[in-house]
Amino acid sequence: MVDMYLVGVGGQGIITASKIIGDAAVLAGKNVLLSETHGMAQRGGSVICTARIGEVHSPLIPDGSADVILSFELLETLRALCKASRSTTVISSTERIVPLSVSTQKFKYPEKEDVAREVGRTSKSFTLVDAANIAAEAGVPMSSNIVMVGALAGTGITGLERSHFERAIAMNIQRKLAENLLAFSGGFGLTNRRS
Amino acid sequence: MVAEERACPLADRSKRYFLYGPNHFEDMERILEAPPGSKVLLLGNEAIARGALEAGIAIGTTYPGTPASEIGDALARVAKDAGIYFEYSTNEMVAAEFAMGAAASSVRAMVSMKHVGLNVAADALMTFAYTGTRGGFVLVTADDPSCHSSQNEQDNRYYALLGGIPLLEPSSPQECYDMTKQAFEISEKLELPVIVRTTTRISHVRGPVTVGKIIEGLKKKEFIKDPTRFVTVPAVARVRHKVLLQRLKEAEVLAEDSPLNRTEKVNGGGTLGIITSSAAYNYAMDAAEELKIPADVLKLGFSHPVPTEKVSRFLRDHRTVVVVEELEPILERAVRAIAQHRSIQTKIVGKDDGAFPRLYEFDQAIVAAGLNMAMGASPGSQEAQPVQAENLPVRPPVLCAGCPHSATYFAVNKATNKKAIFASDIGCYTLGIAPPYNAADFLVCMGSSVGSAGGLAKVNDQPVIAFIGDSTFFHAGIPGLINAVHNGHRFLLMILDNRTTAMTGHQPHPGSDRGPSCCDITAVSIEEVVKGCGVKWLKVVDPYEIKTTTETVKEALQEPGVSVIIARRECALIAKRDEKGAISKKHYIDQEVCKKCRTCVDRFQCPAISSVDKVQTIDDDLCAGCGVCAQVCPYKAIKEAK
Repeated sequence: MVDMYLVGVGGQGIITASKIIGDAAVLAGKNVLLSETHGMAQRGGSVICTARIGEVHSPLIPDGSADVILSFELLETLRALCKASRSTTVISSTERIVPLSVSTQKFKYPEKEDVAREVGRTSKSFTLVDAANIAAEAGVPMSSNIVMVGALAGTGITGLERSHFERAIAMNIQRKLAENLLAFSGGFGLTNRRS
Repeated sequence: MVAEERACPLADRSKRYFLYGPNHFEDMERILEAPPGSKVLLLGNEAIARGALEAGIAIGTTYPGTPASEIGDALARVAKDAGIYFEYSTNEMVAAEFAMGAAASSVRAMVSMKHVGLNVAADALMTFAYTGTRGGFVLVTADDPSCHSSQNEQDNRYYALLGGIPLLEPSSPQECYDMTKQAFEISEKLELPVIVRTTTRISHVRGPVTVGKIIEGLKKKEFIKDPTRFVTVPAVARVRHKVLLQRLKEAEVLAEDSPLNRTEKVNGGGTLGIITSSAAYNYAMDAAEELKIPADVLKLGFSHPVPTEKVSRFLRDHRTVVVVEELEPILERAVRAIAQHRSIQTKIVGKDDGAFPRLYEFDQAIVAAGLNMAMGASPGSQEAQPVQAENLPVRPPVLCAGCPHSATYFAVNKATNKKAIFASDIGCYTLGIAPPYNAADFLVCMGSSVGSAGGLAKVNDQPVIAFIGDSTFFHAGIPGLINAVHNGHRFLLMILDNRTTAMTGHQPHPGSDRGPSCCDITAVSIEEVVKGCGVKWLKVVDPYEIKTTTETVKEALQEPGVSVIIARRECALIAKRDEKGAISKKHYIDQEVCKKCRTCVDRFQCPAISSVDKVQTIDDDLCAGCGVCAQVCPYKAIKEAK
């Protein structure tokens, strides 16, 4: 059983990322459940997806029990830490999307160091991914989400093969597939010890 | 691999459709083209659509609403290729009535809606249970425990009890698919409408679904007249109510034998029994496994009428039975009634004992706490918590960059100096509740802006402005407007016409000129409807023109009766995707000219404009090029990029 908690901001392609994980699991012949937030969350709000691989019934991940937190945005990484424990792997994009509340309500956007400290205090490991740059270098600047899926796949925690992910990407992405696979590879290499 | 050259067989179809989802080709392939026996990852809602296609529906209808929207959206995309008729109806009542007319003529029909949509359709449904149906009639309703995107968390299982209607409750995408198919069988066997009730965590969960064969259902039929059944004058209704109660007895027999009501063993089974349904079943299974509690689980997929014999046997076989269900204690009260009636002494534990909350959606941790209490292992129950902001910068949903509603609200605030009462309605524009606009003071349901505005105006001296979206106006705003004209109310109605049903995923509405794949549609003019309601003062503005909009609002508020302004500008997301944003020039803030007055962040709201360390800037990627901020800035510091 692998419990993955995906967070970010509306418009970052998190649901697509979760569908790729889900399709990869189905291709591998495993049971998988995904849940996603819709509706109000589409308008630039925080977005949460869960992905659970294994013989589970509930799609939800209670506090302190995520195996992986895959965050597409730095502030949302911090917000997701309620799901973390000392056995949680945290992978976060360096991307910052400053919410309006920082402009209007005297909230402060946390520094990268603040995030790293909090993750270090609560979790097992922390990997920062410069997803936007890796995606841009691959020729698909909008595909940070694919880089993040690559970083997740590279850890091997999911128990799925690289080929399952690559086929799942082809099932979900029609335009610029080769470039997207390159973006995936860029993320994969960051977390994969063998590559 | 040359990916972009891979021919997408469905690519050319996109232009005819109204939907803009990035992945709708793939989803369409899945729902329509997944071969029999294959296992595909489907959203619960998509699985319902596939199940309906395999049941051979002739008719699908809906009014969009989260978390039910994807059922209709899936059917809308595939309707033409699947050879079915699908429509986005004006509201849930019309959607249900349309499907009833078809089903009374012996074809199969499905109507889907969010939970509060059934409040609108209930008038028709309560009496359709009396007439019954000839062809299978399935109403899908999606509840929203925790109000993820709704104004309440009502439990729609009560409608099954209220109307005397068989109820199916799937727990997974696979069951969404299975039960939708079975619902049509049950409906035809009993000649009754059947409710399939999901929740957010059923409709919006993806999982593997093994699909079967899509069949071509009966599409045309000759209506056989039978007014003594289908025309519910009192003399007919009295007879049909009796028939309904007889059919419900037959339904209970079906529920007794239904494989949808089954017993499972967790950790080898035991003297603890759990009775559960819907999403709560999932949490109960995971919690019992996690806690290593040996238990028998009676899962009720066909939960109304409750199978009395099956529940009695289950009670007698267990020393303690825990009832696990979200929201209202409906199963629990039914189980307690059965125990009392049959003099069964089994200890029954549920919400009435405080083991489980009556609020919000559950998860496995909440159910584990309840099971622990039932086992006597732990004293207290864990309260379910609403989604809470921590001590971090909050990130609520906001109006998008370039959103015409944002411009409208800025203009209205300028015109009224915020000294007006704002009756709001359901849609993206409800987000105007937040600062800096504070443009929502009262809201209960679809259409309530227009209806409540009259009452607010009658007993207050402040001016009253009602805001309603184009789709919501067609849905429920028109009777309120007629009422206001007829009874001489005084308020300004602003119809925020962004040419789509934006919040739920850009579905069309009666004013749209693009519809589902199967339909030839006619756009209904909002102006003509407003005039037809008897409104004498009507103006149309482009909300991107702040000055004109502001002046028009001031002028409208001088009117002694009902005045209407249509603020018309296409949703910025659609304009962006169609690459026809009106002004479409990126803007920037000239820091040399900027006086740091913060008007652009304190009185206007745009996700592209941020203020960090007292410096306001525009994010070039996010800027929609609407140019509204340039009109907002008092110092002309915001300029078009070269």
